[in-house]
Parts: sequence; structure tokens; C-alpha cells
Amino acid sequence: MEAVRKQTASQSQKLMIFVLTMALYGLSTLFTELIPHYQVGVVEFSVEYFLFIPLTLAMLFDPMSAALGAATGELVFSEIMLGQFGGLGELEKFLTVTIGVYIAGRMVKNPRNYKMVGIAALTGTGLQLLMGTVVDIMKVQFAVEDFEAVAGLPESVFATEGFAFLNDFLFSGILFCLLPTLFLVPKLYGKIEPLLGMRPRDGKTYLGGVNAKVVIGCVIGFAAAAAAELIATSGMPLIDWEAGWAESSTALAVGLIAAAALAVIVIAAIRMKASKGQAEAK
Amino acid sequence: MEGKTKKRLSESILDKFSIDFLRNQVLKNAYGNDDTVIARLDPRILLVWYLFMAIVPWFVDDLWFLLACFILVAATTVMARVAGLVLFIFALGVFSQTGYLFIVSLFFGGNASTIFPLLMLTLKVATCSLASITVFSGLDPDRLSNGLQWYGCPERLSFSISYAYRILPMLMEEFQNILLSYRLRGNPPSRETLRGKIRYLAYQVKVVMLSFYPLMLNTAKRSRTTVEALEIRGYRYAAVNKAVKKIRLSSLRAGANDMMFLAVSVFWICGAVLVSTLI
Repeated sequence: MEAVRKQTASQSQKLMIFVLTMALYGLSTLFTELIPHYQVGVVEFSVEYFLFIPLTLAMLFDPMSAALGAATGELVFSEIMLGQFGGLGELEKFLTVTIGVYIAGRMVKNPRNYKMVGIAALTGTGLQLLMGTVVDIMKVQFAVEDFEAVAGLPESVFATEGFAFLNDFLFSGILFCLLPTLFLVPKLYGKIEPLLGMRPRDGKTYLGGVNAKVVIGCVIGFAAAAAAELIATSGMPLIDWEAGWAESSTALAVGLIAAAALAVIVIAAIRMKASKGQAEAK
Repeated sequence: MEGKTKKRLSESILDKFSIDFLRNQVLKNAYGNDDTVIARLDPRILLVWYLFMAIVPWFVDDLWFLLACFILVAATTVMARVAGLVLFIFALGVFSQTGYLFIVSLFFGGNASTIFPLLMLTLKVATCSLASITVFSGLDPDRLSNGLQWYGCPERLSFSISYAYRILPMLMEEFQNILLSYRLRGNPPSRETLRGKIRYLAYQVKVVMLSFYPLMLNTAKRSRTTVEALEIRGYRYAAVNKAVKKIRLSSLRAGANDMMFLAVSVFWICGAVLVSTLI
């Protein structure tokens, strides 16, 4: 009985962490989405990552809930609310953010240890950015047919993506992830946990470092992310499908049009009748 | 030139904190257009329509088909009366995804032949984005989350959507208050010289970062209250209970309007296929 009650308590606390991270990170991604990016020379100044928020919370609380909350918050606040939802492709960002934040959260044993917090913050950010870069390069390679044949495109993709990665990592990573996390984690430690009715993270409540299970889980997650992005982008698998229906496509198209036109007429007739009936009833 | 860029930089950082503007735009986007044709359609039908528009264009390389899809989603976006800010972000997003790539590939010795594949890519990206703008900002958040739940999306997601729209105005206001109180008490460095401007910018960014400290503590309290209120009403039990779900979704009804919308869309797309096969 005692064990069961403990379980429910931690479940609702997980929900609290989820809601907390979702709201905060969602708010900040909304800002980043709305802020125009500025370019000075070749260096792009953008407040790309408020990733320090989920990083901080993942180091203080249950990392999985914080990671999922961050990814959901980004999805809901900045993608769905602003109508920027990219379908299956969003799965990639969702998974990479989850993996980056989760790993960073698992790495920290003692939130008072500045060195570990710093390393974890940079690892989380770097992982997330690196996965995004790899998927982006693959995406362009598959989306544009004859990738190699288009003059100057391969080099430009590698150059822009590689540069964007370095720029994001050095600029946003250090300024907007490392420094605020270093500031916030020790300061919030021991203060924010009681507000959610929890014990601060210590040797007992610590989940254990990054082990093989976590790594395997993350690799599978990344594979799923890359696969989702490629399916969402690539034109390859459907070439066969296209060729299949191209044979008698004119006939097929005429048939489909006739059916659709019939449907439009029938529904229009039904609506006319319905509105007439309403008018008569009045 | 250098100073001008820096000035623009610091101004843009300042501009974005007119939070009232952002809040208004987001709220307008969420609740401001309940009376449009799109908002009155059944969310389930719209989601099916969205799936088609978001997936199929990626697999087709026919220019006529892509153009037809684009015109269709552009028309529905106009019908949904989307907020201006969202459209601006859309334009920016499309450019940053493909237009930017084109300019860079010119530097690496690309020429006009680079345009065509990139034009295809742009059309595809634009079609998908506009379809999602139509569906996700044309629909009321509650209807949208009901529709998603009908298709078996996790309760967590539809809860997040409904919660996000309600909590956002409050969070924004609170963030603004904290930011203002920091400004009232703070002593910003002078921004006369170039160095001063850079220091001023750094100071602004620092204040934003610092503001998250009280915001995190406040939001932690609030999220505990929220979850406790949810628990009292049996949220976690209701979330997995089939009978509750049925009651909640019973308000969804697909009528003649929805069928009409689907039929017109199918008619238009088939017309495009016909044209492309004839040419």
C-alpha cells in the first residue's frame, strides 16, 4: 500500500514537472520564433536557444518529464499555436530536444558541482545541435533530386550547415545555454523543489549516470528522428507509385474529376434543399 | 556602417520586448477568428485534409500539381483570416529554408539551373506550411485538441494545447512585470559610444536571463496548483477512461459543409492531375 501511494505521488509530481517545463520553455520558444535574426558579417546573432530552461529543470528534477515537457512545449507553443506545424518533420525536433535534455539531466549528480553542470549543459546543447545538423544535411541530399548534379549545391549545403552548427554552438551554446544554466542551477537548487513538494536531488534520488541502456535508447530515438525527417522529405519511395498510376492517368483523372464534380453537385443540392426546408419551416 | 548595424541590432532586441504586441497577435490568432468558414468545419475532416496536403506534395515532382496544391492552401489561408504576424513568420521561414540556400549556392558557382529544383522545394515547403497555418491557427484550440484526441492522440498532447492557450497570456504578463521591475531597479550602462552600445545590449540580455529565475519559481508554484486541481477532479483517471472520452467528443459532428469542403478540394486536385497529364 505504501509503495502504491508513493508511486501515485511521484506520478503527479512528474505531471507538475511536465507542466512547468512545457509552460516555461514554450513561452521562450515563442519569443525566439518571433524574433527576427540578425546577421553581422557572417556571424548570425540570434537568441536561438532558450534551452537553458529545460536543461536547468532536467538537472534539478526528473530528466524524462522535463525533456518531454520541453519538447511538447516547443511543439504546442511555437509550432501549433503559430501555425508552423511541419507534420512528420516535427518529430525530428521533438526527439532531438528530448534526447539532448534527457542526457544532460542524467549526467548531473550534484547540482552544486559547477564543473559537471557546465559539461552537461554543453553536452546536451551540442548533442541536440549536432543531430539537427546531420538530419538537415541528409534532408537536402534526399529532397533535391540529382543532388550532386546541381552545381555548387553540395558544397554550399555542407558549408552552411557546418557553419550554422559551429555558430550556434559557440554563440548560442555558450551565451544562452552554458552561462544561464551555471547561474540558475545552483541558485534554484534547494529552493524550487519544495515548491513542487519534492526533495532536492542528492545521492538517493539521483537516477544514476548515463549507461548503456540510455545510450541505446537515444540511438534508437535518433534513428527514428532521422527516419521521420527523411520520410517527410524524400521523394524516393514514391517513384514506383507514381509510375504505376501514370499509365492510364488521364482516364483515372477524368474519372476522379467526374466523381468529385458529382459530389459537389449532390452536396450543393442537399444544402439547397435543407435551407429551403428551413425557410419554409419559418 | 558598422555602427548602423549595431544600432539596428540593439533596437531589434528592444523591439521584441513589446510583449503586448506579441500577446495580442497570439491571442488574436487563437481566438480572434471563430466566425470564419474554416473555423466552423469539423476538426476531424480538416485534419484529414491537412494530412493529405502535408504529405502528398513531398512525393510529387509535378509542377502543375504542386502549383494547384499551393493555390488551394493559399485560398484556405485567406479564408481562415490568419493574423499578419503569422504570415510574416511563414514568409521568413520559407526564405530561410530555401531562398538562403539558393543565394549561397550562387557563391559556390551555381547558376540558373539551381533555381528549378529549389523552386520545387520552395513550393513544397510553402504548401505544407500554409496547410498547417490554415488548420492549426484557423481552428479554435479546443476544437483542435478534440479532433486530435478523436484520432487517438495522447491525452497529454490535447491537454497541453488547451493549457498552453490559457496559460500563455498570464505567463507573458508575468514575464513582462518581472522584466519591468528589473528595469526600474537597474542602472543600465550608457549607450553613447559603440562600446557602450554593446555593453547595453549585453545588459539587456542579462536582464532577460535573470528574469527567468523568479519566473521559474512562480511557475513552479502555479504548476503545482494546476496539477493539484486536476488531481482533485480525477484528471488522470478521466484521461484514460473511454466513457469520459466519448462524452467529451460527442460534440463533434461532420455536416454538409464539411463534405462540401472535401469535395471541392478533391475536385480541384483532380483537375490539376488532369491538366498535368494532358500537357
